[in-house]
Order: sequence, then C-alpha cells, then structure tokens
Amino acid sequence: MIPRETVSAVNRFGLGAAPGQLAAVGSDPRGWLKAQLRGDAAASRYADLPSSLDYLRREAGYYRERQAARRDGDGKDAVDSFRQRFGDDQWREQGRRYRVAAANADGFAERLVRFWSNHFAISVDKRAASLYAAPMEREAIRPHLYGRYADLLTAVESHPGMLRYLDNVRSVGADSRYARRARQRMARADRQRPRREVGLNENLAREILELHTLGVDGGYSQADVTELARAITGWGVPLPRELADGGADSAFAFRAAAHESGVRNVVGRRYAQGGLEQGRAILADLAVHPATARHLSYKLARHFVADTPPPALVARLAAAWQRSGGDLATVYAALIDSPEAWGADARKFKTPDDFVLSALRAGGIVPGERPRALVGLLARMGQPPFTPRSPAGYADEAAEWNGADALWKRVQAAQSLSESAPEARIEPLAVAQAVFADRLDADTLSALRRAESPRSGLTMLYASPAFQWRS
Amino acid sequence: MKLSRRLFLGAAGAATVLTVWPGLSAAAAGDGDARLLVVLLRGGLDGLHALPPRDDAAYARLRGALAPQNARPLNADFALHPSLEFAHGLYGRGQLLPIVAIAPPYRQRSHFEAQDCLENGTASASGAATGWLNRCAAALRGGEALSLTAVTPLIMRGPGATTSWSPPLPEDVDPVLLQRLQPLYAADPQLSAAFARAVDTQGLAGTAGNARSGRLAQTMAAAAQFLAAPDGPRLAFVEDSGWDTHGNQAAVLARKLAELDAGLRRYHDDAAAIWNRTAIAVVSEFGRTAAVNGTAGTDHGTGGLALLAGGAVRGGRIGGDWPGLSPSALNDGRDLRATTDLRALFKGLLATHLRVSESALETRVFPDSRAIAPMIGLTG
Repeated sequence: MIPRETVSAVNRFGLGAAPGQLAAVGSDPRGWLKAQLRGDAAASRYADLPSSLDYLRREAGYYRERQAARRDGDGKDAVDSFRQRFGDDQWREQGRRYRVAAANADGFAERLVRFWSNHFAISVDKRAASLYAAPMEREAIRPHLYGRYADLLTAVESHPGMLRYLDNVRSVGADSRYARRARQRMARADRQRPRREVGLNENLAREILELHTLGVDGGYSQADVTELARAITGWGVPLPRELADGGADSAFAFRAAAHESGVRNVVGRRYAQGGLEQGRAILADLAVHPATARHLSYKLARHFVADTPPPALVARLAAAWQRSGGDLATVYAALIDSPEAWGADARKFKTPDDFVLSALRAGGIVPGERPRALVGLLARMGQPPFTPRSPAGYADEAAEWNGADALWKRVQAAQSLSESAPEARIEPLAVAQAVFADRLDADTLSALRRAESPRSGLTMLYASPAFQWRS
Repeated sequence: MKLSRRLFLGAAGAATVLTVWPGLSAAAAGDGDARLLVVLLRGGLDGLHALPPRDDAAYARLRGALAPQNARPLNADFALHPSLEFAHGLYGRGQLLPIVAIAPPYRQRSHFEAQDCLENGTASASGAATGWLNRCAAALRGGEALSLTAVTPLIMRGPGATTSWSPPLPEDVDPVLLQRLQPLYAADPQLSAAFARAVDTQGLAGTAGNARSGRLAQTMAAAAQFLAAPDGPRLAFVEDSGWDTHGNQAAVLARKLAELDAGLRRYHDDAAAIWNRTAIAVVSEFGRTAAVNGTAGTDHGTGGLALLAGGAVRGGRIGGDWPGLSPSALNDGRDLRATTDLRALFKGLLATHLRVSESALETRVFPDSRAIAPMIGLTG
C-alpha cells in the first residue's frame, strides 16, 4: 500500500510520477524529499553544453562578421541572421532541459529549479537575453538550489541573461569616469563617435527589490531603488573586443569605469565602500531581510501547497529563513516537516508546463533533442518556455490556467501527448496506478477501463480532471 | 507537402519516420500497381446504425428512436446512414461493397483484445506479436507499407518493410472522449463550470451539423498523396477513434460517419489517378448490441460491418450473410451474430487484389487459416 503522502511527494512536490517511482519512494516520502537537498544529481547532464562565456564569444564573432560584411557592402545576405546562427543552440538548450526534467528521478529538485527559474524570470523575447535564459538556469540557479539565498541571488543578478534582460549592462553611474568622458566628448562636439545617452537605468534594481527580494509591499522606497541601481552600476558583461582578444575569462565583467562610487543607503542601511563589493553586500543583506523571508516563504508555500497557503505554514518557513540566514535547504526542510504541507486539501492546479512534463513522465515519453513540437504545444497552451510576458514570470495560481479555453486545449494536448507515448504496449490502468497508486477515484478508473484502445485510455487519463491537479 | 511530423520522441525512441519517401525499386512496379488502404475504426462501429436494415420489425423494436432517420436506400433490404452521402454515390457506381455480420474470430468484449486479434491476423488476441499487414508487406516483393499513425500499431509491426508518417496534431476533440470526461469534470467543483463552458463554446457534444471534416479526412488525404505517388507504397493503414458509442449515439455517429464519408471523398478526389486500382477496407473490432441501451447508445457486441470502397471493388451490392435480428438469431440473445471471419475478407482482398500467393496467405500472412476460405469476387 502506497501512502497518500508518497503520492503527494512525487506528484505535488515533484514533477509527477514516472512508472515505478511511487514504489521506489515507498513509505518514507519526507526522507525521499530531503535526500534530494544534498546536491544536483542532474548537473552532469549539462556538462557538454556551451557556457555563457562561449555564447558571448560566438555572439561577438557574429556581430564582427556582420559589421565586416556591411562595411564591404555585402549587404544583409552575407551573414546569417541571428536566429539562423543561434537557433540551433537555443533548440538544443530547450531539448536538454526537457529531457532532463522528463527523466530525472529527483523530481523535487527539478521542480525547485523551475520554481526559481520562474522567480527570476527572463524572456527569450528580448534578443539581447535570448541566448542566456536556459544557461542562466543551469549556471546560476542549479548550483545554488540548496545553498544560501544570497548566493543564488548574487549568481542570478550577475548573469549575462539577467543583466541584459533588465538592462543593467546599459546602466552608467552619473558620476562615473565613463559618464564624465561622455560628457566631455559631447562638449567637444566630437562627431567621430556616435553620441549616445548614458546614465542610470533602474530596471534591474527595481525588480530586485520588488520581485526578487522584498516584494512589492516590502517597505522600500523610490530612493532605495535609485540607490541600489547606483550600487550595481558597472555590473555587466565583457566587451566584444575583450571577448575577441580572449582576455575575458568570465561571462560577468565589473566595469569599474561605469560604476558610480560613493556611499549608498539602501533600505535603512549604509554601504560605505563603492565597487563591486558594495552591490554584493547589499544583495547579501536583502537576501536575509525579514520582508524577503516572508515574500519568498509565501511564494514557496503557494507553489508547493495551495494557491492560498496556510498562514501558519508561511510563518514557519519565514522563521526558518531568518533563523538560518536564508539557507534554502533549511527552508525546504521546514516545508517538508510542516503538517500543513500534507493536508488532505493541499493541491495545486498544474500549469501547462507541469501538465506536459507530468504527462511525459507518466507515459515514458522522452522529448527530442530539438523539441519544436513540444515547445509549440506549450506555446499554444500559454506557457512557452522562457517567454513570460514580464519579469514577474508565469502565474502560480489556478485561476490563471483553468479557464474554459485552457481546459479545452488540455484535452487537445492530451490527445497529442498520448500519441507520442512509445509504442510498447500502453496500459492506461497501469499508468494510472503508477501515477496515483490507489488514489484515483472510481469514476475515472471506470472511464479508463472503458476506453476504446490503450492509447485512448492514456488520452483519457491525461485529459481527466484528476490529472490536472498536483495533489 | 511536409512529410515529417513526429512530435516528441527523440530519435532513439522513434519508429521509422518518413522524411522523404524512400522509393521502391523498379522491380516493384508492374503487377504491384494495386493499392490497399486499411482503415480501422477503433471503438466498435455500430454496423446496425451505419447500415440499417429496411422495413425490419425486429430492428424497429430493438432500436426504436435510435434508428437513423432519412437513411439512404441501397437495395430492398438495407440503407446507408444519411451522413454517408458520398459512399452512397459510390454504391450507385458499383464502387462500394458493404459486408454485413462480420467480425474477427474473437467473442469476448474487450476493445483491446478484439483489436489485437484483428491486427495480428490470428484466431486469438495473443496469437501473434506481429501484424498481418506487415507480414503481407514481407510477402510482397518490394511491397513497402505505410502506417499513417504517430506510432506503429500492431497491424504494422514485424519484420516486413514498413514505415510510418504521423499526421498533424489533432485539433478536433474526440466526441466519445468528451462524453466520458463530462461527468468527471462535473464532479470537480473547481473545474466543472469552465469545462461546461468549453464544451458549449467549442460546440461539441452532439453537434451533428458540425461542418469540420475531421482528422480522419485529413489523414486519408495524406494517404491518397502517398499511395498515388508513382513509387509510393502499395499498402497503407489509417486508424480513427471515437466509435465507442455507449451514449448519445445518434449525434456522435452522425458526426463520425460524416468524417468517414469525407475521408472517402478526399481519398477519391486526391488519388484520382489510382482510384481504379484502389481497394479501401473500412473495418472495426466488433459490432454492438442489437438493442439500444439505457443511455441512447449501444454496448459492445459481436457482428459488425465492413465497407469496401474503391474503383477496384466490385460493389453496388451487399456482401456477407445476414443472420437477421429475431431473438433466436441473435448471439447470446443480444448481438448480431458474426457469420463471416474478417480474415476471409482480408484474404480475399490480398489474393485477388494484391495477388499474394495462397500459400503465403495460409501460412505467413494469416497463419493456420486454411479453414478460412478467402471471400471471392471482392475486386477485379
């Protein structure tokens, strides 16, 4: 007999049961979840992919070639478009991501990856960031899943994906050397260099405070936004010529010339020294601020337990956050140990991504290396990977995803997904047992028994209301 | 035409996928110009609904209001469902041959097992792990076969040269699936209203007048393109689901039969050059109960209906032996009795249309089937 908690651990905390998984987890679901807090077992699955630094170098080479072609009058056709040149890289990144998620037995770890990836949402819609969304997840998020939030936060905010998506690469301190030189050039009316406005861009700083740490009601002011923006001026990526010379050895570059030095005051604290360390110190403090603890604890509880999470649960997680100085493994452990997380009414409506992944896992479907159809399906369902409409990421509440049209698309998607299940004999009742153990309601079971073919039975299972929930 | 349409499977797990039709050797042409398309309607087509007997008191008593109105007469004894308009025209041209009271040699009531039996070409559901269309491909020199399915069905599995091509993502929602989902969603307080709205808006459940020709027609159009190619395959397989009509049968079948009719029309129009060399066999794993059930539908039964269509078919008549619907004629007192083994139909087609040798038919394609005499005069 598989305990109800095991079904929840695998389906609600994880990305959904694969055949045999419930039995493997057995009667210690909390132990199974906690065992995953020790490291990223899937890290090696990404080892052969290019790094962000590789992509930056290739991108610089691309722009250099294009510039040369234009100078030589070759026009546009001499060099492939950006999409042609890098489209394959992006498909491979997407494919790897879904292949790992579909296969990794550590479903809780994969869900945490996706939770943080959505928390730090960037969109491939923005050209400058498009090559770096998936790399940001594997380079900045995966290595810090179980460590201190300060480290996760710092890794993300200094990744080229985030720095470009929220425009920090263009943010220049008003009193920086770079800005002063720019003003002198303008004063000399130097026509040789194109005139470009330089100055502060608050975009990243605002989202750090509003989305990534304190939360919109976290008690910060416009002055705090501006001060933080000044503190992280100079956080950028290597210049094309540095990349070409092979001088750059990191995808992050602190551009001291663009940094505004001086004392900064952020959320009631004074940060004396300027430079790179100033921004890091601010992020480290923000990571353990009580408002951050509350904001992130609420989001975690909402993600794993219920759209309206029990206040006692949120409070307990926030306490663990503050007690441990934002140690994420400690916070996850508090979640796992909380009785509210295992209540009979704890359940979450699957987002399209959850739905598709759980169907892949249940059906033993391994996505292709370049999963165009899969991404197309997710796009039609309203959740194309790495393409949220805003830095707030995709919504994490049922109301966003369970409208009439969305349910209809799920039924259609269920048909597509069952057709992709491998041809070895599909047994809907066995798949249902593998996902729900004995927790599937009698009416759904009876509908599965009456299916016209094994494949239509699998469609029925995927399309059933029971399968739409992580419960 | 885009030939590759595999969805999610990586190369490792994929069946053979067509990117470019490989082409047959020149030796394969010639006598091999005949084309066979097998269409499997999964779920159990109610033959008594698609081909109602005329002026039959037993039928009227058993079916009552479920009997289709305005059926199109074929001869003195039978009529075609009104949705089968194009098929009715084919009958008039001698190119449609309905065969009544036919079923695979399986007498239980499981869809899966009955389909396995039909597909493996033996006397039982577990009789073989390969399919008879595949073994037929192996028996035909250069007789490659094409499965127009996302995955290789049993009927196409085996050592013979076969390949597959998958049709585009299904947009239409299978009405039977929807019917079964409705009570499940109605029981979920958070999803019931939205699901009911979806069904209303998308206009499914019982939309007899739905103008969309459906997925089957799309797939049959693709089959026409493949089979009509000069070096195309000679055998092809298409499947469809949504035929398991336990409830609200009249509306569901009005739509499904219209889809089948549209499929036949698309094939006819798109494969005009080979129409006269084509035989299409539309079959299903079993028939349904003779009497209407308590939910305006029918349950799993025995004797079903096969439809042969195509320029190579000697139609314009009704085939098979009609056992009648009187209480004593019914199987177990509830189903139309099956008087013909589907293998007899398939053997007859393969022998006369594709000229598969008798020995190959009896030993390899349909093992141990000597006792099942091929039906004669189906084509030619």
